[in-house]
Amino acid sequence: MTVTSATSVSAAIRRSGGRGMALGAGLVVLALLPLAAGASPYLLGLLISALILSGLALSWALLGNLGGMVSFGHAAFFGVGSYASALLAAKLGVPVLLAIPLGGVIATLSSLAMLPALRLSGPYFALAILAYAQIFRILATELDWLTGGAAGLQRYPGLPTLFGINLADRAGSYVLVLACVALFALVYVVLRKSHIGTALRAISDSEDATRVVGVNATLLKSWMLFLSAFIAGVFGALNAHIIGFLEPDYAFSGIWSVMPIIAAVFGGYRSVLGPIFGAVVIYLFDQVIAKSLIPVGHQILLGILLAVMVLLAPNGLSGLVARIFSKTAEKHHAGA
Amino acid sequence: MTELILQALFSGVLIGGVYALVALGLALAFGAMRIINLAHGELVLLAAYMAYLVESRTGLDPYFAIPLALVVVGAASWALFLLVDKIQDHRELNSLILTFAIGIILTNAILLIFASDMRTTSSPALQDAVSLGDVFAMRGEIIAFVLSVVLMGVLWWWLKSSWYGRAVRAVSSNRNAARLMGINPARIETVSFLVAGALAAFAGVALYTMSVVQPATGHALTVKAFIITVLAGVGSIPGVFLGAVLLGVTEALTVTLASSALQELAGMVLFLLVLFLLPNGLFGARARRG
Repeated sequence: MTVTSATSVSAAIRRSGGRGMALGAGLVVLALLPLAAGASPYLLGLLISALILSGLALSWALLGNLGGMVSFGHAAFFGVGSYASALLAAKLGVPVLLAIPLGGVIATLSSLAMLPALRLSGPYFALAILAYAQIFRILATELDWLTGGAAGLQRYPGLPTLFGINLADRAGSYVLVLACVALFALVYVVLRKSHIGTALRAISDSEDATRVVGVNATLLKSWMLFLSAFIAGVFGALNAHIIGFLEPDYAFSGIWSVMPIIAAVFGGYRSVLGPIFGAVVIYLFDQVIAKSLIPVGHQILLGILLAVMVLLAPNGLSGLVARIFSKTAEKHHAGA
Repeated sequence: MTELILQALFSGVLIGGVYALVALGLALAFGAMRIINLAHGELVLLAAYMAYLVESRTGLDPYFAIPLALVVVGAASWALFLLVDKIQDHRELNSLILTFAIGIILTNAILLIFASDMRTTSSPALQDAVSLGDVFAMRGEIIAFVLSVVLMGVLWWWLKSSWYGRAVRAVSSNRNAARLMGINPARIETVSFLVAGALAAFAGVALYTMSVVQPATGHALTVKAFIITVLAGVGSIPGVFLGAVLLGVTEALTVTLASSALQELAGMVLFLLVLFLLPNGLFGARARRG
């Protein structure tokens, strides 16, 4: 089931061009990973968390690559999405599979408050969005009539059974999260190929020149912010229903801001597959290797990794791979 | 009630002095290289832990840690500059990510070496209460404030009168013109980062003597310094000082009138208000952000 859904997606992507091939192949690899993991519940759980992070890293990279904005506060969208979905399901009885996209919608609504920040560029935007993440965390703690405050939320529904697949068990959750990652990766690819993608590339080269030829740069950037917030919110919501417990310090934790940056930069934030695989590699490295080497302070290894990547390979692993491929292609060319 | 508010105002002003030192270090590095050093708060934190190290190992007054802090933090700041200088393309974005990464490394290194406990001076002399009329302060707070004001004066004089200081201002206002006047920008950038490191060293030791530090403090300090920069613009030392005092007072009043859980929120809300309502900062600095 996992494989067929992923291959049909990859077939759809293949029609949209050569890069789609790599994306399709990548998703197939992700679909096969649980088989390699031997379906051990522990490993499968790790892989689910890794894929959640993949989605979050994808949303961060979309904002960074297409929108040209660095966010140090994606925890805001992630947290809002998780709380909104859990509360909708628990208090209003909204079906979980509807509550999850609604969580994304509410995360998008929360990003409306950040629109004024779009006027700011570079570090000012980055820090404004960090401020929002802090504000949302404090609000989630203080509004305890709604969120349960610092004690957190526990009694809300988990994932249901759909078409005979129990989404609440680990294999089911994995399929659902992977399907969401694939869906948003597809949206990203289509968007990047569209006129909007071209306009956004032009903006990142010269915003002023692009405005002169009649592109509403602020509007396009705000659409990227909305889409990024929506994706982050959806993965926050998925995570909330999978783990079944929320508290402000967890849902709005700085981890959700830091990890997507490291994952996307490591994998290559200018590609689609880079953030997705970057997240899987980084998360497994952090949880399996770093944590056993250095129980407290294991993030130091991630920090070193991030610094080394920015300095030596700013286009990430996917950039390195692309460079190796183009070199071998050149050799072939020279030989022929 | 009035007494409580007066006390909050007073404490806010005192911590504002140290905040100003942190923000000035950030502004210096920004002026020279047009990058925000997201690890600046961690440099301050490093100095605070040097003070803790000296005090806990030797039993000396934490102020004796200043030479050690100057050397260690100066070296760290210099190393940071050399790394940032290596970035070739997408400098603004990549330097943000790189300094952010260095911040993570420093925070976790401190966590590994010194554990996550809160630390503050154990010197009874520094913790003694001093009364000034109706309000009270720890002696450490008063000394830290005076030290901060003196350092701001020295920095002001240095930027105004010394050759290097004037060169720093020249490079930050127009890099190419400064180069034509025979100033080597790379050298001035190094000097800016060294001075920023020195300010961070003093700020860190002062912070340790008047407040508590823990590994997470570094990140919070970077954010505070950035808020102050937004409040004041990066133009002037008195502006940065006023912005820092405003932040300190806002935080102290929030703790007194509402709750300490909201302390961070107050600073953030102030930051966003100014960012959106007064895009040129409170004091109308001409530099455009963006």
